Amino acid sequence: MNSLGDVFKSIWVRLGSMSLAIVLLVVLSIASVIGTVLLQNQDQGDYLQQFGPLWYWVFRSLGLFDMYHSWWFLTLLGFLMLSLAACLWRNVPRMLKEMRSRHPWLSERAMDRFRLKQQWLLGEEEVASIKQRFREVLAGWEFKEAAEGDMHFIRADKGRGNKWGYILVHAALLVILIGGWVSVEFGFRGDMAVPEGQSEDEISFLQGTERKYMKMPFSVRCNSFSIDFFPTGAPKEFRSNLTIIDDGKEVLTQDIIVNEPLYYKGVRIYQASFGDGGSKIRFRLFSLDGSAKVRDIETRVYETWKDENSGVSIEVTDFKPFNVENMAEPGQPKNFRDLGPAVEYILRGPGLKPVKIKAFMQPFIDNDGINQGSFLLVSLSGDAKDYQPVSLGLDLTNEDEWRLFHAFYRHLSASKIEDAKQRNLLAFRAALAEVYGDHPPERVQDAAMHVLQAMRMLPKLPWPYIPMLEDFDQVYYTGLQLAKDPGMNIVWVGSALLVLGLCIMFYMPHRKLWLVIRPVDGRMRVFLLGMANRNEMAFAHHFNEIFTKLTRESGRTIT
Amino acid sequence: MRATTMDSNRLGSLNRGWTGLVRFGAYLGVMLGVSAMAMFDKSYGESPFLLELLSMKGVLWYGSAALLGAGLAAILGAVRPSLHESRLVANLVPWLDGVLLMIGLAFAWAAFEPAASQIDYEDQSNLVSGRVIMAMNVVFLFSAISYIAHLFAPESFIGRLATGSAYVGAFLGGSALLLRWYESYLIDVEIGHAPVSNLYEVFILLFCVTTFVYLALERRYQARAMGAFVMTLVAVGVFFGIWLDSVGQADIKPLVPALQSYWMKIHVPLNFVGYGAFAVACGAGMAYLFRHRLEARNSQSRLLRVFPTLEQLDQLAYKSIAIGFPAFTLATILGAAWAAEAWGGYWSWDPKETWALIVWLVYGAYLHARISHGWHGKALAWWAVAGFLVTVFCFLGVNMYLSGLHSYGRLS
Ligand code: HEM
Repeated sequence: MNSLGDVFKSIWVRLGSMSLAIVLLVVLSIASVIGTVLLQNQDQGDYLQQFGPLWYWVFRSLGLFDMYHSWWFLTLLGFLMLSLAACLWRNVPRMLKEMRSRHPWLSERAMDRFRLKQQWLLGEEEVASIKQRFREVLAGWEFKEAAEGDMHFIRADKGRGNKWGYILVHAALLVILIGGWVSVEFGFRGDMAVPEGQSEDEISFLQGTERKYMKMPFSVRCNSFSIDFFPTGAPKEFRSNLTIIDDGKEVLTQDIIVNEPLYYKGVRIYQASFGDGGSKIRFRLFSLDGSAKVRDIETRVYETWKDENSGVSIEVTDFKPFNVENMAEPGQPKNFRDLGPAVEYILRGPGLKPVKIKAFMQPFIDNDGINQGSFLLVSLSGDAKDYQPVSLGLDLTNEDEWRLFHAFYRHLSASKIEDAKQRNLLAFRAALAEVYGDHPPERVQDAAMHVLQAMRMLPKLPWPYIPMLEDFDQVYYTGLQLAKDPGMNIVWVGSALLVLGLCIMFYMPHRKLWLVIRPVDGRMRVFLLGMANRNEMAFAHHFNEIFTKLTRESGRTIT
Repeated sequence: MRATTMDSNRLGSLNRGWTGLVRFGAYLGVMLGVSAMAMFDKSYGESPFLLELLSMKGVLWYGSAALLGAGLAAILGAVRPSLHESRLVANLVPWLDGVLLMIGLAFAWAAFEPAASQIDYEDQSNLVSGRVIMAMNVVFLFSAISYIAHLFAPESFIGRLATGSAYVGAFLGGSALLLRWYESYLIDVEIGHAPVSNLYEVFILLFCVTTFVYLALERRYQARAMGAFVMTLVAVGVFFGIWLDSVGQADIKPLVPALQSYWMKIHVPLNFVGYGAFAVACGAGMAYLFRHRLEARNSQSRLLRVFPTLEQLDQLAYKSIAIGFPAFTLATILGAAWAAEAWGGYWSWDPKETWALIVWLVYGAYLHARISHGWHGKALAWWAVAGFLVTVFCFLGVNMYLSGLHSYGRLS
């Protein structure tokens, strides 16, 4: 019959066993693999679509979508902690005792088991000198002598503290795991988006499958946000100028960039992302009814402007002041160019298919420096992948061209001439005279090209007008991450112990050497014995070196 | 075959005694001087670090630190003569000499750099480092072939040729990386950064580290037969590097903001010390398995005479892991420190991090199986090989197949 105490004891022994440790390490590795293959903390709808309802629910109930925080994964970590604790509990007292005690004497049987072993046969006085040499050659080692019967032993130790390596490493792992637990239990991490000029005091974060919110003990104001670019157009630096407002008072103003956070009241504030913070956008609507009318409207990013008359609405989704694109032909060296500011919006209206449009403020200047007129990117599916360029022909930043186009249209419709080429030419001349009078533009050809392209394109567009970006007043939001991690310092302490312990463990092996002197037939048989608990190959070499040195001194050897 | 031989030649004796100690002090001084400059010199951060190092001011910083270090070492050596025999010094100084040689080589290559007007971001094919790397590729392939030939002709000079070319290859690679660092500034001062930022660069680093770790073991334990396995691994890597180059992954590109940190210069190379050592352990494991089969089949085979004994190979694998494990541990911890600084948490279970943990657990389990369960031999040799496969996945597979915060190491 086992008593309860015995049961506990046997569980404790199992917990501290090496087999369990190895099993735990292997199971944890395998479990971790799952979490890297299955993307964590994604949108639940995406998971449902990806796996279908059955597997979705199976995976969800196993917590696989937030695996590293699931009960079973944490239980595994808990077991690892228990195992480490049990293991330390069992081994530390024994190891401490072992490190203290060093008996110089060896039994005959023990001597037989040494793998590193050499001997000499010497006279009395040679023995005295070899003993002295032994101490000289091993400068820095610890010695202990003893005699038993007619045998004489000198033991030398180096790296006696090697077992501290074991103790430090395993204690450090325990400390790190505890630090991790403290981080999870008492820390937080969440996101905060602050538009320029505004302040915010709430973070949001995902917990399991839900988004949660949390108030901070202070608020953060974003004074400004800026981006710096490499000559290639890739972003070089994101910089936010932040002010911390605590209790209504401004307490701290500082710039942060990626890799250089701000620290206030135990909370670190990191630059994580950015986006448009509701820029003011002025559109110019170019009517497509032939009336040549234009009108300006104002709206903001993330807002929808609605035209009461036509029922058409413009939902502005994004604005970017820089749009760097590779303008090279396929196969040519890359040629990055900034196409200037652009606004993205969704155009809806009665009887219209909704489309996503990206409208650029400036006309397109091709690689030869020729103005090719204004252009849009249009996506019928609403997906940015499906953007198709639409060249409008006219340079809409130039009012004259817009007027020229309408004048040409009017003259063309009014003309009675049969020959198409002739008719076009005369209509264009008349239009030029009407718009420019006696001072035609320098590049008449370009204007003609623009008007012809516009004749081909504009009548095909189904919308009542084209909204073009006329002006903007940009506001960014800065995406911050706020984190408090009280366990972090515990983890650093554990890490330092871990590295220290590993170095002791691997690079300061415990090495032992014995000089055993035994009289035989009036002479002395002297044994040199060696043992290392790690890296025997290197020690074997060292052992041979020592043996050679001692031999040179004393002359003779027998093997 | 002798179990162990030490470099008791003339060169070896240079690394001990006064000369070794004073050099060690000087090197230590340089390292501290460079770190101090990075930490305390105000203009660090805004100004490109390498150019700063090459400037007069940099030379003053670490030059004086070197003199100070050498002086201190000389005094310490006089006070405690036992320091002259220090193994730490004797083991570390040759490595530091090697670094110095690489820097010298990089300077020599830099003399062949095209004129500033010829250097262009869009087309980097005329940079000299590309040619040095090509030479490295050729030399490494040659070395691998020679090591294999050595197995069949152990007495001939081919073995020495193999070792020599491995040294040459590693020095070419290391100096090419240093040169590439400099070239990144030639392209544009704003673009310049340490050459450990993309897969192509760290691959070259990996070849060099692997080769050096292997050569250190070869020199001390006469384990040349193992080279046939280690250098074959390197040769496979070389082909991968050539492929990367051919698909346009070898260009110097500007650093994304997340990588603009001094942590990168510490974290990445240290990680590759770990990876390189694990690669050598894998080579030792393969050599073990190979010899094991040979013995089982034909105990008279001539090949057997070339190989270290099974026990030695077993120890060599352990020894490499004993080099790699602490380095990898430290690298992971420094990675965590960087993450704490850049992302707000030391551990985010990002795929790269998680795989690093897996690698670490796999080798941790190896060490346990060995130390406490007394496992030896075949099972552990397989473990060393399998462990390296996990390592390769951590280092390549994660970039290629999984997404996450480390995705700037991705193929684009
Ligand atoms: C994350 C978990 C662990 C890691 C990374 C780890 C790491 C290590 C390392 C690196 C060694 C040294 C191997 C060598 O000397 O070459 C070692 C030894 C050892 N570990 Fe662990 N360990 C872990 C957990 C455990 C646990 C849970 C136990 C309890 C059963 C344990 C028991 C031991 C023992 C008994 C030794 C041998 C010590 C000696 O005699 O020198 N370890 N461990």
